[in-house]
Amino acid sequence: MKFFSLQKDSIPLFRGFAVSFDLAGAGMLMLSDYGQYEAALRVNLHDEWFPIFEAGIGKAKHENEVTFINYNTSAPYFKIGIDKNMLKDKHGPNRLYVGLRYGFTSYKVDITHPDFSDPTWQWNTSFAVKDAACKYHWAEIVIGLDAKIYGPLHLGWSVRYKQRLAHSEDGDWGKPWYVPGFGTYDTKLGGTFNVIIDI
Amino acid sequence: MSEGFRRMDFKMGKNIRIVVVGVVSYLLPLTFFFSCSSIDCPVNRLVLTHYQFTNSDGQVLTLLDSLTVSTTRMDGKDTLFNKGSKITNFYLPISHTHPEDELVFHFDGDSLHMTDTLWVKKDDIPHFESVDCNASFFHTLTNIRCTHNLLDSVVITNPSVTNNDQVVHVLLYPKISD
Repeated sequence: MKFFSLQKDSIPLFRGFAVSFDLAGAGMLMLSDYGQYEAALRVNLHDEWFPIFEAGIGKAKHENEVTFINYNTSAPYFKIGIDKNMLKDKHGPNRLYVGLRYGFTSYKVDITHPDFSDPTWQWNTSFAVKDAACKYHWAEIVIGLDAKIYGPLHLGWSVRYKQRLAHSEDGDWGKPWYVPGFGTYDTKLGGTFNVIIDI
Repeated sequence: MSEGFRRMDFKMGKNIRIVVVGVVSYLLPLTFFFSCSSIDCPVNRLVLTHYQFTNSDGQVLTLLDSLTVSTTRMDGKDTLFNKGSKITNFYLPISHTHPEDELVFHFDGDSLHMTDTLWVKKDDIPHFESVDCNASFFHTLTNIRCTHNLLDSVVITNPSVTNNDQVVHVLLYPKISD
């Protein structure tokens, strides 16, 4: 089977666009210290292949009550990829996707701590990493479901396995805790819950 | 589309909707579960400078006398290392952000009472592991000098002072090597 083969029928190749918004990331942002607003534009090719562009803004504002470390970042991120509809009936109202994504973000982090006493010398010590520039590249394997609800409205979810590909941090201060669009640094799993509208 | 197909489509759509609602109610808590981070701080979080006695042939020397190291804290004198004897190497704290640490080495034996002072210059780098780990500093040693009563010289062998305590940072060359 060729990777990009299309089912042979009378349905045209280009079937339109769909836009979607992820409610899970927005919910996380409202209920926890980090999360993201994410939207996507998906192209429908023959109800089988779906090139997709995802973009969002990832944010973290964490104040640790035990260590008193404050971590702040906010930056856009971008993902491109493709999904394949795995259902036998490609042209039905519902879809089961398997797909891949490549993600990238360029962001800055602020890490601060209130002044504290040097444990040995007792001098006042200030701790701050300001505007540290970072870059992060990652890949995602996506499994998702998309169900037609009414008219152009669909609801769907996806589970994503994430893998860091490359990263860089400006300076020797350590590694980031939260990466916009990716999640916490060593995250492997994530998910989305999407509201999708066919246009 | 015939009535039969429409009914079938509606039935399938309803089933899928039930699946979506079910999975969503399962997935959302999972999303939050997966987003929880585990606490992953290094086992050795102490950042210490590792000193070693050696001679010009590169052989590690054992100090037969006793060594005490003190410094001046904000509130006066403080002992950093107390009466170590028959030692080849030892660890000392390094200040978080002071540009130069002054360390006073007291060598005491039966007939020996000598003091040397070391001045350690360094660059201080804030180090971040995770929001769950305490703030710490790594350092880059830039210069070290000493008085020459018992010590002949001091050499930075590895300038990077981190929480890796296996690395020797400073070699101490005593005038008396036996």
